[in-house]
Amino acid sequence: MPIVNEGLLSEFEWVTKPGERKHIGDALELADELMQEIAYKLIIGKHLEVDRLTKEALESGYTANHILDHGLLNGMAIVGVKFRDNVIFVPEVLVAARAMKAGMAHIEPILSASGVEPIGTVIMGTVKGDLHDIGKNLCIMMLRGAGFVVHDLGVDTSPEEFADAVVEHGAQVIGMSALLTTTMPNMGRTISYFEDIGMRDEVRVMVGGAPVTRDFADEMGADGYGENAVECVDTAHELLQLLKELGSSR
Amino acid sequence: MTSNGHSVNGKADSKPDPNKVMVDPAAARQSMSRLQSIFRDIALTAEESFRNRCPYKNAQSSCTAKFGCRYQHFTENPSALPVCTGSDKLDYRSAWETDA
Repeated sequence: MPIVNEGLLSEFEWVTKPGERKHIGDALELADELMQEIAYKLIIGKHLEVDRLTKEALESGYTANHILDHGLLNGMAIVGVKFRDNVIFVPEVLVAARAMKAGMAHIEPILSASGVEPIGTVIMGTVKGDLHDIGKNLCIMMLRGAGFVVHDLGVDTSPEEFADAVVEHGAQVIGMSALLTTTMPNMGRTISYFEDIGMRDEVRVMVGGAPVTRDFADEMGADGYGENAVECVDTAHELLQLLKELGSSR
Repeated sequence: MTSNGHSVNGKADSKPDPNKVMVDPAAARQSMSRLQSIFRDIALTAEESFRNRCPYKNAQSSCTAKFGCRYQHFTENPSALPVCTGSDKLDYRSAWETDA
């Protein structure tokens, strides 16, 4: 069907490259009114609406596959184009990612029950004394997109809060972010705290943030380092694999 | 109806129990892979954009940071985000307040 949602139609106008316009346009034509509404609400970051509409769609008989492909992914594809073309910026992308997460909260249990299991569980937070969260939030978006379950502890996170979250959620990996040279040492303090309470062997620790280097990560005893959000996902995969190998050799 | 038990418009044939709705795992993995690809492009664009634009500055040039910055200009509307007065040509990081 043609795009009947006026908001979505207007958003689609931002997609101007011919190949991309055809690709996304063809996908949108497979979306009915409800899927178009989900896509539109995701683009404009209305997470409560995406939550409600996704739930309604499932209750009225749409499959998880269909909602994912024709509602959520269609919306996120347009978000990606708008960001690349400087129509929107990181804050708007993260608001859309939050809407995506709201929809995925209904889809993931169904995928999981069908054998599409999460890859692993990661605890993410910015260390004590640091209020910067953009880099961490991009990492979280990437990790969730890669199939990890992520629990976000936000900013200014104490070592105790990291440890409590690992226990509560049975996480295998923690990711710490710092953007200030003054707060970077708190990553090392958190690792020491895990050693002090005898939990160091249970989790793998990855770190990142603008002032953090691989050398610094090694020096403080982290297991992995990611220079950016893409590397964060690769590192999480590697650390999980390492844990599995350690587990099987015990 | 398709081979995975869904009708062509994406609706299952009867009202489902969300925990029991049939899912095509292969198709779902393909969708997740597409999502990952979209996010990957976004992350790479973000990495590039950090070089010349503060990541907390939104499309309306408002500041979304939860900490202070000397480029923040607060308007008379207490519920509105502060306006970012920083130039994208300057190093925005030196303007951030560092105390939590």
